[in-house]
Amino acid sequence: MEEMVLPSEFATLERVDEIMLRCSHLAGLDEQTSNEVAMAVIEAVTNAVIHGNRLDKDKQVKLSCRWGPGEITISVQDEGEGFDLSCAHDPTDAEHCMDCSGRGIFIMRATMDEVEFEMSRDKGTTVKMTKCHSGTPEGGDGGI
Amino acid sequence: MKVKTQMENDIAIVHVSGKLMGGPESENLRNEIKRLLDEGSKKFIINLKGVPWINSTGLGALMAVYTSVQRSEGVLKLCHVSDRIQSLFMITKLLTIFDTYPTEKEAIESF
Repeated sequence: MEEMVLPSEFATLERVDEIMLRCSHLAGLDEQTSNEVAMAVIEAVTNAVIHGNRLDKDKQVKLSCRWGPGEITISVQDEGEGFDLSCAHDPTDAEHCMDCSGRGIFIMRATMDEVEFEMSRDKGTTVKMTKCHSGTPEGGDGGI
Repeated sequence: MKVKTQMENDIAIVHVSGKLMGGPESENLRNEIKRLLDEGSKKFIINLKGVPWINSTGLGALMAVYTSVQRSEGVLKLCHVSDRIQSLFMITKLLTIFDTYPTEKEAIESF
């Protein structure tokens, strides 16, 4: 799968939004689904830039996106050391609803149909997310 | 991200424009609310007309200013929340925390 290599900086997030809206359009997603996908990918890239790569400009974020009829899949990879997924709490719980952080993974899971995390010391953390949709891609299967 | 405040009687209306996605720029908003609280303001409206979307880090910045205002016994309302931000509020159940209004006029009249 081809991939885009992005720098670990805040400006990357704005670029990712534009990239995902373009991919969603090509994949034939409607506006609401397209916004949900963009929100999830921005959260994954936010985590990669801030928590994974810790804004280290020498580290990169790799983004890839593939689509076909009924499905779009996005992968985001950082160069971080991973994290303990069991520490991700439900930010809608009364105990955590006023917290200033900890909503990223929850947003990814709420907006996508499948979210998988793969962590390894040498390859960093990869988030693979899939969203089902009823649109028809322009020109069939595609990707970046 | 730009932050500009105008006073409407005793209500501080803070206009935010650009992307609210964490980082040093979010500090502009926190610092402006802190300055206004230090000057004695108690009523706040954050006008998000110029903010098309935010991420969870931006949500965190909004939660931080909401908490600061609440601790100072003030009231914070939001207006002109885009559909995309509204969706994020709905997903994270922050619609139950933030008092949102379609327009600045309606937010002012709600005080």
